[in-house]
Amino acid sequence: METLLGIKGPDFVMLAADTTHARSIIVMKEDQNKIHKASDNLLISTTGESGDTEQFTEFISKNIALYKMRNGYDLSPRAAAHFTRKNLADYLRSRTPYQVFMFVAGYDETDGAELAFIDYLANAKSLNHAGHGYGAMFCSSIYDRYWHPNITQDEAYDIFKKCIVEIQKRLVVNLKNFNVSVVDKNGVRNLEPISAQSLTDYNASS
Amino acid sequence: MARRYDSRTTIFSPEGRLYQVEYAMEAISHAGTCLGILAEDGILLAAECRSTNKLLDSAIPSEKIYRLNENMVCSVAGITSDANVLTAELRLIAQRYQFSYGEVIPCEQLVSHLCDIKQAYTQYGGKRPFGVSLLYMGWDNKYGYQLYQSDPSGNYGGWKATCIGNNFGAAISMLKQELADKPSIKLEEAKDLAVKVLSMTLDTTKLTPEKVEMATLQRVKNTTVYSVLDKPDVEKLIEKYNKLQAETEAAKKEKQAKQPKS
Amino acid sequence: MSILAYNGGCVVAMRGKDCVAIATDHRFGVQAQTISTDFKKVFHIAPRMFLGLTGLQTDILTVRDRLMFRKNLYETRENREMAPKPFSAMLSSFLYEHRFGPYFIEPVVAGLDPKTLKPFVCNMDLIGCPNEPDDFVVAGTCAEQLYGMCETLWKPDLQPDQLFEVIAQSMMNAFDRDAMSGWGATVYIIEKDKITERSLKTRMD
Repeated sequence: METLLGIKGPDFVMLAADTTHARSIIVMKEDQNKIHKASDNLLISTTGESGDTEQFTEFISKNIALYKMRNGYDLSPRAAAHFTRKNLADYLRSRTPYQVFMFVAGYDETDGAELAFIDYLANAKSLNHAGHGYGAMFCSSIYDRYWHPNITQDEAYDIFKKCIVEIQKRLVVNLKNFNVSVVDKNGVRNLEPISAQSLTDYNASS
Repeated sequence: MARRYDSRTTIFSPEGRLYQVEYAMEAISHAGTCLGILAEDGILLAAECRSTNKLLDSAIPSEKIYRLNENMVCSVAGITSDANVLTAELRLIAQRYQFSYGEVIPCEQLVSHLCDIKQAYTQYGGKRPFGVSLLYMGWDNKYGYQLYQSDPSGNYGGWKATCIGNNFGAAISMLKQELADKPSIKLEEAKDLAVKVLSMTLDTTKLTPEKVEMATLQRVKNTTVYSVLDKPDVEKLIEKYNKLQAETEAAKKEKQAKQPKS
Repeated sequence: MSILAYNGGCVVAMRGKDCVAIATDHRFGVQAQTISTDFKKVFHIAPRMFLGLTGLQTDILTVRDRLMFRKNLYETRENREMAPKPFSAMLSSFLYEHRFGPYFIEPVVAGLDPKTLKPFVCNMDLIGCPNEPDDFVVAGTCAEQLYGMCETLWKPDLQPDQLFEVIAQSMMNAFDRDAMSGWGATVYIIEKDKITERSLKTRMD
């Protein structure tokens, strides 16, 4: 139901996540942030089973923070994604698997930008653009049309707008509001959320 | 006096010493010498081999220098059986890290992880410390070429050049002297220096290729290249050193001869 | 639907004269949806050896990492390169360790023995039953089609360039009849003195 989106550019990664927290057919709240800052240069967006998402993201973030404390330097985004996947894969074959879908997004001076797609089976892949959840079904075609290797942050933000217009038009589920964050050489930043309201005057075909 | 306090590793003596640990270090200072030199374009380990029996199988390429993983190599001084346990442990630690993070373990983390284990053996009851000091040479993308040394107490440190084993004190002061006026040296110079220091610190008078094991580690085209020097190459280094030594000796004699007898 | 066909993908390996070839498709999907078209299921694990893994992607990654762990320890301990034969034996016993909770993968090993340079191909089922034929091995969602193509095109003692043509045509014509595989392919030809990697442009639909 819930939707996560991600776009990788040459020197940044941008994530968008809806803010709906629903249980069965009831919307519990409309302002839940699903994009978590794991370190100065790492974002993790998570969706899935509601308790698991918080619990697992926290577990990973704290381990990444512990790594930095022990060693004095950060885990590279690629290593962080590998570590996340490995833990999820181990839990998958335990009695208590976590049912979470996530993006691990980071920027590193030497390795550049990294966007890792990880699903609840711990299938993982480094991608240029990706989505999780029902809303993502409408987005892959938009990504394929508008994404290019030298994409800028403004263009990426605009692609998210196009995606969200489509989600709000076609998806049966009501996803009103999306938080957007970006990670680049300057660290992590939250951008203006994209909502049904902010999109009233937006022309997606421009 | 010491007898009351050194029967267990976990007991301090009244002077605040851990005798078993000190004995372990003493044992190492009788073992074959190992030295490491950090150069700007690579890094080197050299070790003295004590067991030079003609009947030994020469198919086994190196007995004191062990490859740990893609980026690291170590040499050992002390009880060989203890060293085998530790190198096996080091290799496991390195692979476990790689399995968890998908990257090669940074050098210092490997050293410090092993030292945690060594330290535990100086504290928990019923155990004896490992009678092994190690020199590690390695490369990682965080700090480039690195040379570390660790001892039975679990202490470790990073060095530009250092030495463990027999006569290590003399060797270190020689290295200090030789490198005092140089901010860094080339790997080729380091090889000559290693031969020089080894031959000066060895108990036996003559240095032979059978007694020396030398290995280098360099970064070539984004991969770590580790190579053990062949016996003929070591022989050449020794010959070069002997020639140089003879020349300086001759020059000295000449100078003495010229000086008027007082 | 079988969990082995959850992500799609296929691998094939063939023996030639003093050479072997191994090929992989590029698709990574979740059921019918294609997520990425640059996922190579073949890994270069020793100078003259490749490991191809098809099946559930999470297990492809896990098995690859676990095998590298064991192989690296073997190589540092023994101070020599691991040959394809012992590697396959290790893989087989590793998979059988998980007999009653298996990794959902079907592996393919291709390589030359480091000493004798004899070509070697091998595949297994998900619990490690090995098969070492002297012609070709296939795995993946279009294994049936691959068998048909290989059976028709392969003959003994193919030279490296002929082998490339045979494996490429087998691969392309097999996965074009399968919706779960395809989206480009990569072929590796392993000879005693070199390895050639060639990517194939195929139908992208």
